[in-house]
Amino acid sequence: MSKGHSPLEQFAIKPIFPLQAGGFDISFTQSALFMILAVVATAALMTLGGKRRAMVPGRWQNVAEMFYEFVYGMAGDALGREARKFFPFIFSVFMIVLMGNLFGMLPYAFTYTSHIVVTGALALMVITVATAVGIAYHGLHFFSLFLPKGLPWMIAPLVILIEVISYLSRPLSLSVRLFANMVAGHTMLKVFAGFSVMMGAVFGMLPLVLNMALIGLELMIAFIQAYVFAILTCLYLKDGVELH
Amino acid sequence: MADNPGDDLERRIKDARARHASPQDTHKNRDDSGAMSSAFRAGTDLVAAVIVGGGLGFWADKVLGTKPLLMILMVFCGFAAGFLNIYRRETGQEFKIGFKNDRASGNDEKEE
Repeated sequence: MSKGHSPLEQFAIKPIFPLQAGGFDISFTQSALFMILAVVATAALMTLGGKRRAMVPGRWQNVAEMFYEFVYGMAGDALGREARKFFPFIFSVFMIVLMGNLFGMLPYAFTYTSHIVVTGALALMVITVATAVGIAYHGLHFFSLFLPKGLPWMIAPLVILIEVISYLSRPLSLSVRLFANMVAGHTMLKVFAGFSVMMGAVFGMLPLVLNMALIGLELMIAFIQAYVFAILTCLYLKDGVELH
Repeated sequence: MADNPGDDLERRIKDARARHASPQDTHKNRDDSGAMSSAFRAGTDLVAAVIVGGGLGFWADKVLGTKPLLMILMVFCGFAAGFLNIYRRETGQEFKIGFKNDRASGNDEKEE
């Protein structure tokens, strides 16, 4: 394959306004552009969708309410009464991931969730908030999370070590899952699109049809991954809030 | 004459309801359903724990100056944590750290 047609080419970060400050490259990239687009789109959807407040919702109000109720139900299931406090956080996480995935489905768009820097930072933020919430609710008692009840003291150090590793591995696993799904999906789409081009007008139809099906699959994955990210955020917060 | 189309519709509604009700409401398969994704999840869980364990060991080695020893140990702990992750996931007690409310889904309330 010639240069520029690699299926991984689409993930390259390109600066729009190159910018240097203090030895760091802080260019405004297309990744940043799509993040801003996602935030603007979310804000627009929620404010414009909620403006009319019709009893019988119109299309946009319906979409906005759907997202709201979906996330609210999810948060309520996991957190119960405490859900209300954390709903803005969970909803923001859900929407930023969902919008990133969905904007990525547009032709020529950039999928910022396909970079582990982005998903890793999101997951780190989630786990930091969850831990902070746990400490705020329970103080240092929170760390008894790592010590199972009724544990013989002889193996306690080992078990605590394993539990801590298990706890710390969750954001990594979470971010890798989102990022890998996005990279795999978009690479696959590009590879099949490349087949279409190479096989010519007649036989090229076959990969094209397959690609159409794959786009449907990718849309589903975009939703599922945002859902997974949000529900895991809920469950991590639950660990901090409830602490049995 | 009347019952045939009505029956059909009723049956179809029932089918559709059953189809809609099953996947979403149970918290069991939340990632998505297939065995493929379950395997993928297990893989990332295991690898993530090993990486975290190895990383912690590497860092501890650097601080304490016990070059390979702690890292080797911690990689094994990472494997243990990874399998613990998988075990918890597959037995449906997802993401519970600690064994506290394993059974009966936490009816023993918190004590402080």
